[in-house]
Amino acid sequence: MVSSPPSPTVTGTMSSSSGAPPVLKSVPPIRILPSQLARIYSFAHPAAVLLGFTIRFPHLVHDPVSEMLNAIPFLAASQVVFAIICLPPAVGSLEATGNSGTSSSTAGSTSNIILRPGRPARRKGGSGGSGAGAGLGGGLLGGLGGKVIPSVLALILTALLATPVLAILLVLFGAPFTTHHAQTALCAAHMALLTTLPLVYVHGVDGTVWSEVWGASRPADAVWGAALGTCVGAWLGAVPIPLDWDRPWQAFPITILAGAYMGFAAGTLLGRSKWVYGKRLRFTEEADLADKKTE
Amino acid sequence: MMLSSTDPGSGHESIRRENAAAAFTGSSAQASDRPDRKTTVPKVSNNNAQIFLNGLEADFKLKHLGLLGVLVWFLFLHVVGIFYFTKGFLLTRMVLENKSSCDVLPFADTNTKKVDGCWHKKSFDKAVVLIIDALRYDFTVPFPSDVDSGSEPLFYNNLPVLYETAVNTPENAFLLPFIADPPTTTLQRLKGLTTGTLPTFVDAGSNFAGTAIDEDNVVAQLRAAGKTLVHLGDNTWQSLFPDYFDVNMTRPYDSFNVWDLHTVDNGVTEHLLPLLHPANATKWDVVFGHYLGVDHAGHRYGPNHPAMAAKLQQMDRLIRDVIAKLDDKTLLVVMGDHGMDSKGDHGGESDDEVNAALWMYSKKGVFGRTSEDSRKPPATASDRSIPQVDLVPTLSLLLGIPIPFNNLGSPIEEAFVGSTGKDWKNLVTVNRLASAQIKRYQQEYATVRGAEEGNGLQSIELWEAAENDWQNIPWVGSSNPATLRPVYDSYRQYQRNTLQVCRSLWAKFDEWSMAQGIAILFSAIVLLVFYARGIRTQQTELNTILLTAIAAGTGLGAIAGALPVLLGVVAGPLVEKSVLLAATGGILSASWSLFSQPRQLTVPLPKTLWGWLAVLFTVAQSVGFASNSYTIWEDEILLFFISTFGVLAGISSMRQKLTADRVLGVYHSILFVILGRVASMSRLCREEQMPFCRSTYYASATSSTSAPWQLIIPLILALVLPTVVKSFYAGSKSYEGAAPLWIGSAFRLGLFLVAVFWMLDSADDGEWLPLSKETLKSSRVFLAQLVLALAFIAGTTAFIYSKPCISIDVSQGGNNEPDAKGKPSPSSSAGRTTVTILGFGNVYGTRYFLLVVNFCLGIILMQKPMGQGAMGLLLWQILSLLEILDTNALVSSNSSIGPIVLGVLGSFYYFKTGHQATLSSIQWESAFIPLSSVQYPWSPIFVVLNTFGPQILTAIAVPLTVLWKRPLQLSEEATSTSKASNPAIRVLSDAIQATSTYILYFATINLATTMWAGHLRRHLMLYRIFSPRFMLGAAVLGVVDLVLILFSVAGVRWSILSVGDIFGW
Repeated sequence: MVSSPPSPTVTGTMSSSSGAPPVLKSVPPIRILPSQLARIYSFAHPAAVLLGFTIRFPHLVHDPVSEMLNAIPFLAASQVVFAIICLPPAVGSLEATGNSGTSSSTAGSTSNIILRPGRPARRKGGSGGSGAGAGLGGGLLGGLGGKVIPSVLALILTALLATPVLAILLVLFGAPFTTHHAQTALCAAHMALLTTLPLVYVHGVDGTVWSEVWGASRPADAVWGAALGTCVGAWLGAVPIPLDWDRPWQAFPITILAGAYMGFAAGTLLGRSKWVYGKRLRFTEEADLADKKTE
Repeated sequence: MMLSSTDPGSGHESIRRENAAAAFTGSSAQASDRPDRKTTVPKVSNNNAQIFLNGLEADFKLKHLGLLGVLVWFLFLHVVGIFYFTKGFLLTRMVLENKSSCDVLPFADTNTKKVDGCWHKKSFDKAVVLIIDALRYDFTVPFPSDVDSGSEPLFYNNLPVLYETAVNTPENAFLLPFIADPPTTTLQRLKGLTTGTLPTFVDAGSNFAGTAIDEDNVVAQLRAAGKTLVHLGDNTWQSLFPDYFDVNMTRPYDSFNVWDLHTVDNGVTEHLLPLLHPANATKWDVVFGHYLGVDHAGHRYGPNHPAMAAKLQQMDRLIRDVIAKLDDKTLLVVMGDHGMDSKGDHGGESDDEVNAALWMYSKKGVFGRTSEDSRKPPATASDRSIPQVDLVPTLSLLLGIPIPFNNLGSPIEEAFVGSTGKDWKNLVTVNRLASAQIKRYQQEYATVRGAEEGNGLQSIELWEAAENDWQNIPWVGSSNPATLRPVYDSYRQYQRNTLQVCRSLWAKFDEWSMAQGIAILFSAIVLLVFYARGIRTQQTELNTILLTAIAAGTGLGAIAGALPVLLGVVAGPLVEKSVLLAATGGILSASWSLFSQPRQLTVPLPKTLWGWLAVLFTVAQSVGFASNSYTIWEDEILLFFISTFGVLAGISSMRQKLTADRVLGVYHSILFVILGRVASMSRLCREEQMPFCRSTYYASATSSTSAPWQLIIPLILALVLPTVVKSFYAGSKSYEGAAPLWIGSAFRLGLFLVAVFWMLDSADDGEWLPLSKETLKSSRVFLAQLVLALAFIAGTTAFIYSKPCISIDVSQGGNNEPDAKGKPSPSSSAGRTTVTILGFGNVYGTRYFLLVVNFCLGIILMQKPMGQGAMGLLLWQILSLLEILDTNALVSSNSSIGPIVLGVLGSFYYFKTGHQATLSSIQWESAFIPLSSVQYPWSPIFVVLNTFGPQILTAIAVPLTVLWKRPLQLSEEATSTSKASNPAIRVLSDAIQATSTYILYFATINLATTMWAGHLRRHLMLYRIFSPRFMLGAAVLGVVDLVLILFSVAGVRWSILSVGDIFGW
């Protein structure tokens, strides 16, 4: 019943995940680091991002391209700071680079024995092991090594992979194909910074996680909530564009970007709220799933 | 049972047949790696099965007819609902039969002195009235020098004679913008130009078959005055004014062949010029000549095209010839009945469509100007324009006949003010006459109609004021502008004010009728929602009781509606009342039969994300139609929905457990989105989308021909499209049986012929070939008819008698494969026969899809090259959608998303085949692709195939959402006591569910557009945006209903029967 052969690109992206059927234990949802600073900043960050966007909004309307371009370093920096302060970095990526286990290796190594390398253990270590002073002090010195590399990796992947993918998606959803290339690319870059940077920082290039991301089946947490919220917000952001109100802010891609930012803030907060946290998006009734294909 | 060990998971099917018995066991495809798809086909013993099987088949056929009955009833409800809404919504005006008479002046003055002519002294004995169809005002004036828009469009400066004469000899000629009242279709315009009254919208639909005018009009008045009338050209006149024209001199020509630029024009000229010869001067009094070349050049090429320039130059020469031959007593009038939009089409009310030109000429020198400002014709149509109704009083009074009774126009200033421009007395006199006639009409209308006095009051006051002024004119001394001008102005004010009052008065809606229509449509949707999504059991089970109830209710209602009318208790048309109550009765009884047994029903709310998505697509779009912006940008919104579905499908595919499902699902999701985006490049922008839209459908924004490079599209289609279809068939090893001949040969041949057709057409346009136009045309028409015969005659016959797309291969012996997966074989291994059936996994789908291929070919023929490319992409996208549905387990779960996405695709590709929700985007010329003249009922059918091709194709494809890769199921004798276990009926029930869901989408859109049009009936944009969208929605719903009943559901019958013939029941 297999029909025409899959395109090479698809098999390429899929190969990592197809070997990992959903039976495998998936990575649990991320918790914000337990330190006081992290807790406070995790609320302050989405608010600050949204506030910054609001303040700069008139400039965005006035000259979208240069404003979006100028804002990228700030957004990237604030996202990196957010990730470093509030999120547990991916250990898998560190081990891959062979330069891991600096400060938090003690906490990490104990758990490594129990679970699959890195990630869950790291979280445990983070949540359990950090007394306020030790966590901060250790984090400042040794943590930097463990956090800088995921940050750099996140930045690189965001720029090189996520931005083009999102730009293509924007065009597929109806963004101009022959004009407005700068707008599309910059909008995609902003969205990539909002969605992908924290995801890569936290999960590295873990195939299981990313196949869950592609399937939108991650359990809800701040990072995944932000990513999903950004996308849904951008989707909703397209709604006002056709209206004949003749407002300058209706120009592509301002409303989409506004939707994305609002979705990011809402998703970050909602994703870690107790009602949503850990839940997964469902397409079908799970009960049906078993007998759906059998008749 | 055993499986062939080679290539598991490829749809390769192997079934062992034991000895000679008909019984066989089979398995679904890919039992090895897709255990969840395994289907066990029960055994049927041959001995006593035949009677049972026949029973199943008969049962199936009966149930099939019953389902058709329900669908027909829904069609009935839709038609009645739309009819009742339309009756109240489309503006109506009471037609008064009164005629003006020469002897009765419109006012009660007693001092009637005998004048030469009726009512007013005539200026001319004879007239030549030439209508140049679609003569836009800017065709007649010089290119405005202050606009630096680069190169000057080709339609400028090719018809200078009108402007030159008006400027050089103002006493001989004047030229004015001549504003048409929409709808700007020729039939409505001719009515307005001859009766002097406003068109109503109801008339717009009757353009294909115009009916005689029974109101008072110029032609009838001329006839009554004993004039000999001659008509040349457009034969619409013949249907409007039968028997008015002199039989010997009149020459009507077919008006709808818009591909023919010259036959009508040359014919008119050929017969017109001899009439102007002095020897023939006494044979006629008034000639009406109607030229169509400019209009046809617009429709075919658009205004900015060399053909248009040539046409206008020809008209220029013609008018100069007529001027040269004209005598002093004859008035020459040249006018356009409407304009054309930037692509050369018309019908709506955009500025370019309503701005026509009017030019009057006489050698006598009687025309004048009242002021220096008006010496030159206005540079643009926005200055000093006059409405088209003004022609009627002007022509009447100039020729000395009474002003037709219904006239609302005013005498044109330039024609009555005298060559010095100072004859105010004459001007006041004619305006008093015209005003008096308008007042007489107004009073008569109020008497007949009754209630509307309130609206007319103010204008009656204006009339009295004007009369008062008139009485107070000191008649001693001759005309003094200072005293006469105010009188003229007050008459003028009365006339224009009444025109305004009438415009708004006749925009009067019958709200009660509209509400009835909406109520019926709404009830039909509620019932359809439950029928499609809320029935717990199979639709077929409920059918008998439902149909009985419907029949009883409808019958009772029809009688209840008819009786009072027959007995004379209630007045009104019999059929209307009867039909309304029949619909109501049917709705009530159907609701009773459905809702009286709540156990059968579930709340029809979606339970999955897919279901919600289907609701979102339908409801969001419906809500959006309340806004003119979302209506204008419908094409982009549909693309947005399609991409949303594709991306979600990709995400959902990533979640599938099986690698094959995952890979295939993601691949087809990506393909689906990309195909949709590629198709979206084909655009024909509507006026309101400017400047944010660039048309690509034709060679340029001001053209209606395809660019030469677009001719490559049909060729690519012929090469690629059959291969694409083949690849989907080959995926399930179904490229067997009739498929290679059908898809690989017949389909390809048909597409190739289409490509040749369009090359010949372009060769004709561009004069590339040294062949006569006639040769090219007849060979083209022959090719088109051949393709249609291939698609519909041969295709349908073959579809009915074709076997499923499978190949059965019987081999002896080779039974040493491991029996690991299969059940242990009941018989010994000796002498076993292995039957390998290829294409088993998609036996229903591939068989049915052949019907889609037929229709695709027929529809592609009717499209322009760009539209053909779009239709090819649509076919591909449909196949891709089916694979997505299959890999995401949406086929077997009867998800509503499949039919709804097909509906969205149908709507989306409507826009991608060069259409918009406007009247002017109808490609009338497509009627002449397979025919060289208008023939009923074929010509309208071809236009429908062109216009609604995408919706028709997706409607045909709807049953595939439950048939594609559906595993074959056969009945189990053991449980055969219950008829519901007949699996064919299960398939049928699913198909009807999908069909109802598809109807539900279009019915919801129709209800929404209907409600919004009704709600926004005073909106500024009603006729530009909401009303056309309502008409589109209603037309699509009707077409879709019919196609589903006649072809889709019928096609399911043949598919299942033919599968049943091979595999039993």
